Amino acid sequence: MTVTAPAATDVRLKRLETIWKESPGVLGWLTTVDHKRIGILYFFTSLFFFGAGGVEALLIRTQLIGPNQSTLDPATFNEMMSTHGTTMIFFFVVPMSLGAFGNYLIPLMIGARDMAFPRLNALSYWIFLCAGTFLYVGVFSGNAPSAGWFDYVPLASKAYSPGPGIDFYALSLLFVGISTTFGAINAIVTIFKLRAPGMSLNRMPLFCFAFLAVSFALIFALPALSTALVLLELERLLGFHFYIPSAGGDPILWQNLFWIFGHPEVYIIILPAFGIATSIIPTFVRRKMVAWPLVALAEILVAFLGFGVWAHHMFAVGLASATTIYFAAASLIIVIPSGIQLFSWITTIVTGTPRFQTPLLWIVGFIVLFILGGLSGVTFAAIPFDQQTTDTYYVVAHFHYVIFGAAVFPLLGGMFYWFPKVTGRMYNEGWGKASFWLTFVGTNITFFPMHILGLDGMPRRDYTYGPEMGWTGLNLIETLGAYLLALGLLSVFVNLAVSLFRGAPAGNDPFGGDTLEWSTTSPPPEYNYAVIPKVSSPYAMWDVEDREEDARNLELGRKTLEQGHETAASTAVDAEWDEILEMPSHSAWPPLVALAMSGVFAMVLLQQWLAAAIFTVVLAVTVAGFHLKEPEEA
Amino acid sequence: MTPVPRSMEAAGAGPVRRVDTARRAQASGWWGAALLIATEATLFACLIATYFYLRFKTSEWPLGGIEKPSVTLPLVFTGMLVATSIPMFLSVKAARGGAVRAAWWLLLLATAVQATYLGLQIHLMVDDLHSFSPQANAYGSIYYTLITVHHAHVAVGLAIDAWLLWKLARGITNYRLIGLRVAAFYWYFVSATAVAVVLTQLYPSL
Repeated sequence: MTVTAPAATDVRLKRLETIWKESPGVLGWLTTVDHKRIGILYFFTSLFFFGAGGVEALLIRTQLIGPNQSTLDPATFNEMMSTHGTTMIFFFVVPMSLGAFGNYLIPLMIGARDMAFPRLNALSYWIFLCAGTFLYVGVFSGNAPSAGWFDYVPLASKAYSPGPGIDFYALSLLFVGISTTFGAINAIVTIFKLRAPGMSLNRMPLFCFAFLAVSFALIFALPALSTALVLLELERLLGFHFYIPSAGGDPILWQNLFWIFGHPEVYIIILPAFGIATSIIPTFVRRKMVAWPLVALAEILVAFLGFGVWAHHMFAVGLASATTIYFAAASLIIVIPSGIQLFSWITTIVTGTPRFQTPLLWIVGFIVLFILGGLSGVTFAAIPFDQQTTDTYYVVAHFHYVIFGAAVFPLLGGMFYWFPKVTGRMYNEGWGKASFWLTFVGTNITFFPMHILGLDGMPRRDYTYGPEMGWTGLNLIETLGAYLLALGLLSVFVNLAVSLFRGAPAGNDPFGGDTLEWSTTSPPPEYNYAVIPKVSSPYAMWDVEDREEDARNLELGRKTLEQGHETAASTAVDAEWDEILEMPSHSAWPPLVALAMSGVFAMVLLQQWLAAAIFTVVLAVTVAGFHLKEPEEA
Repeated sequence: MTPVPRSMEAAGAGPVRRVDTARRAQASGWWGAALLIATEATLFACLIATYFYLRFKTSEWPLGGIEKPSVTLPLVFTGMLVATSIPMFLSVKAARGGAVRAAWWLLLLATAVQATYLGLQIHLMVDDLHSFSPQANAYGSIYYTLITVHHAHVAVGLAIDAWLLWKLARGITNYRLIGLRVAAFYWYFVSATAVAVVLTQLYPSL
């Protein structure tokens, strides 16, 4: 074998840099289709919404700091409570996990150079941005939704919510649903088709299994929400009847459709967190995950079983006993795959040699909070208990342990873990640990007393309470905890922001990571990998011989795909190399399509039907433009 | 290493055929379409479930003395739409075999029938609107919603057909062949949903 001179390697790298070079400046960001840039755009946009949702949470807690407070009037309290939930679920957690983490990391972890549909990926982001803006135009124009994040009818019907707040809610969720559907399709096809040759499904990182499960869940869950929302808007805007009993409708129809989406959504929120945990744990305990195949199956099973438990949100509605018993049993069964994962994480940590650096601390915190939130969740499968605690703060405590503790903690841990990869710099370790403890303590001070208040009968969503109820002390503690929690979160982002400029250089692999992304530079080049990597196990970075072979391949110019904007496509299960794909490069069409779509939604909201039709034509023209150029013409 | 095709570069009947024959797995575009169809099929399932949910909440159906739908014409029209699966299938077969002109004409035939179907369906719907409105009651609301969502899917299919006719008139590429396969896949799905929708629509008369 003849090995060429390093100069030839440099020439190859230069050629790849030229081929994949992104346009500079703002225009480059507007027209980018690079999954890493889109991931970063998702990150900052969803972070903005996290901030907005956080401010709303603090306003709610400030109002509840003591009895009979007047920081917020009842109507504004309802708006803050509704917008907080809607923002956090639809515009923070899902886009942060699938949009930011998924976009940035999936192609890197599977050894691809981009997502399967790069322009669709950009379109997903721009639609998400426009949908979020749409909701907040409503909030800032005094038309925030006020019927809770699950927007029950008849409260959300025109008769009881005559203003446009509910329309802003419904249309923005329909709008963002398009983005999420595109994102889910893109993630699945990327995972199925663009895995590096050799990465058969049983060699794929567990992180990708989690995102695969989430994406499939989204594909089948979102249509139920879209149906519910379309029917609601037809009722509100055009006088149709779906939820009004006097015209043959039924308000419980909304609850069924909403929760057919809503419960899978809980797993959609939490599964990415599981994926992040399974990435961080092996790295910091220096061993492979215990029961890898069971964990992979459990991730898929959780997403699947999540579709069979929706009516446990409706035990107080008055459903037939046989129905409630079935859903109670299904809700208990789902504990099994969740338990498999939990025991796997714990066993892997206990049997490894853990280094409790900041990312692992967040994961340990997540495990503790997930156990607490999971245990309180199981109690809802006991129907009489559920009926007693429905609509009390006990429920609020449970889902904040799950959604904030179990879903957001790993996202924060993931931010520390991949910060060096994305930026090329290290965060401040001491500060990172301090911010974890502040947030962990703050979380428990805020949400744990809610269990007690809920069991004592404090109803959720009430804007205040009287001093005679005896809830003053615990509410004061919760509010102080919320400020501590906010301080913890602030310290996370200040640490990361300062480290972005002052952090020590990270190198390619500061933690001894287990997956492929650690084999490329930090930050990764536009083309991700100069050589399509060789993969022999789910812990590709620990397969030293494979990485050495990649280096030899680069020297020899093998598997470098340097004739164009190229990446490898493989067969779906065994990942045999099937094609070399020419990937699209930058395009101005995605933001234009999203803008045209915004016009349609805005005109529908304003009931300007002619203008909506004109924007639909504009949308069709932009979609045609989107498809004008074929890959070989790029 | 065995040579792996740069499939997107394939243009012209011969190279496209070679790439298509060599491919061992479905293309990304096919997977994307399959997933889009899966999510759209779920949407129809939710709408049809809504129809029957509303129906079983009442003893009278259709509500409010609305006449039961007439059966013959909707079934005939649906049969017409389902039949376009044959030229769509043959069009894909011809394109894969390199007969691009035949593929184009078969696609045109399918498009013409599909467009006629949509026109006739809209005509039937306008007739229905003269007897009862979607605002009449829950029956009217779900009846028109279900049909309109189906019509919207037919209209999207026609737009895809038009785009493909324009593209295929300029020759075949690997990208266009995948496009044609995806379009055929989409029309099979629309035909299947047409059957589900029409049976739901005609349910009170069956």
